[in-house]
Amino acid sequence: MKAVVCVKQTPSTTAVFSVTNGSVSWDDPGGKPNVVNPWDEYAVEECIRLKENHGATDAIALSMGDASSDEALKTCLAMGCTDAVLVSDATLSGSDTLGTAKALAAAIEKIGGVEVALFGKQAIDGDSGHTPVQVARKLGWTPLTYVSAIKAIGGGSITVERLTDDGKETVTTKLPVVLSVIKEINEPRYPSFMGIRKASKAVIPTWTAADIGVSDAGAATAKTDWSNVYPIPPREGETEIITGDTVEEQVRKLVDKLFEEKVI
Amino acid sequence: MSGVWVFVENRDGAINMISREAIGAARLVANDLGKPLTGLVFGQSVAGVAAEAFSLGVDAVVGTDDATMAGGRLEAIGPVMVKLAQERQPDVIILGASTRGRDLAAWLGADLEAGIVAEAIEIKVDDSTVKAVRPVYTGKLLCQTFVKGGLQIVTLRSRAFAQAAPTGKTGTPEWVPAVVGEDAIPTKVVGFEGKGGKVSLGDASKIVSGGRGVGGPEGFEPLRDLAGVLGAALGASRATVDAGWIPYEHQVGQTGKTVSPDLYIACGISGAIQHQAGMRSSKIIVAVNKDPEAPIFKLAQYGIVGDLFAVVPALTNEFKKRLN
Repeated sequence: MKAVVCVKQTPSTTAVFSVTNGSVSWDDPGGKPNVVNPWDEYAVEECIRLKENHGATDAIALSMGDASSDEALKTCLAMGCTDAVLVSDATLSGSDTLGTAKALAAAIEKIGGVEVALFGKQAIDGDSGHTPVQVARKLGWTPLTYVSAIKAIGGGSITVERLTDDGKETVTTKLPVVLSVIKEINEPRYPSFMGIRKASKAVIPTWTAADIGVSDAGAATAKTDWSNVYPIPPREGETEIITGDTVEEQVRKLVDKLFEEKVI
Repeated sequence: MSGVWVFVENRDGAINMISREAIGAARLVANDLGKPLTGLVFGQSVAGVAAEAFSLGVDAVVGTDDATMAGGRLEAIGPVMVKLAQERQPDVIILGASTRGRDLAAWLGADLEAGIVAEAIEIKVDDSTVKAVRPVYTGKLLCQTFVKGGLQIVTLRSRAFAQAAPTGKTGTPEWVPAVVGEDAIPTKVVGFEGKGGKVSLGDASKIVSGGRGVGGPEGFEPLRDLAGVLGAALGASRATVDAGWIPYEHQVGQTGKTVSPDLYIACGISGAIQHQAGMRSSKIIVAVNKDPEAPIFKLAQYGIVGDLFAVVPALTNEFKKRLN
């Protein structure tokens, strides 16, 4: 049984964005501008644990993106993934979630023998959380999203706990599955020193669209237009700092305001 | 084409809040397009849900009332929705961006090869196309987005749209059979624990939230008291969750929940960019912080510079007086 974790390289959480003529750029004055999508770190950790504790033979990190996504995959190798594959091709650039899902599903099929494909619950740039379910549909596998614990795995089935808007649900299904995981599932490890050294020397194979046999993804097939990105307008109005001789007076004034605003 | 469809998510015989918002927004889209609005109802013993959907303003209800639909599994609902959409060719399908709504939207998009506009916070109809505004990069930027052709699938972020109001309208639902029988559904629900009526952070109209300034796990106590008096949910910054002072389910921000309550009271929260990303769309933001230079004061409408351990209990007392 192989386990695959799909990761996306995204801007860091502390990145500062600017938009010039509709094109988005970012920088992180305090650190690396690009990181492994923070939600994916939990999926990477769980993938490694499937190998360490549940008999997975391989823990393979898979990413689709430009050549720089190598960096995200090296982080996965440094954490303990056994292999990494980058799907990268100019014809795939600008894919919507469905195009991405087609490419990832094809790559998972090419890897072969995969029983569990893991994702973070969403990427912090697109924020839709649609890719895991769409990969599952393209593979014909069962999607289980928002997984907070893998309770049991083996004998061709898996039992997981999911945290949804309704509550906490425990479900059992047949393998293979696509899982999207949430923060409750684990505490991701830091890359080890040895891991970082090993990862720095790793040569990560790159698969093109032709390698995975995908011709219906990329900007030309994207069904959604999201080209008009712009900064959030600043909040209107000034901040009113409420003063008073005593805390009680300040609080009284504030509560008056909140009743006037009709939010109480 | 058969107009606008809206997914009517329900649990225990009641329509979820996010679906009430979706019905309200979908009604306006249908009116603008000059097409009928159909509510899609799935569940077991959901005649009451269908009746409520009519009252909330849908023109028709189509759905499946069947034991396989209980619990809302994707593998039960997804195939029925796909089959209905293939047969009847809706122009637009609108869903609340709940955990289930997001999953279903993705399922429909994949099976119907349709485009999805996700997490919209504003929508308008422009030349038969739903044009949406949605936050991207976890609320750090906005994006105008639309589906370029064919079926348009749209998910709506919670608390961004007004809920549909009951009209008293009635109608007769059309029930269609399940597509997949229980034997062919691999996923079985073996346990479920509801939220027991607790207001979730995403649905809350008021949130009292604490940051590093609370000083420790016990520092959340005065905030809990205030939240109790206001009927508010309790939020927290990432720093307090990482420190183990409060469980993750309370975290607001880029790696927590994105919220947009009517009132957000930030106590001892400096207002890091990641926190702001998760709460800046709140209607009224109140900041209580010792540090007059804290970035949260730039975002807030009202601020009190002071010790939260003096201000918050005083607020609790004042609200107790006024609300009783």
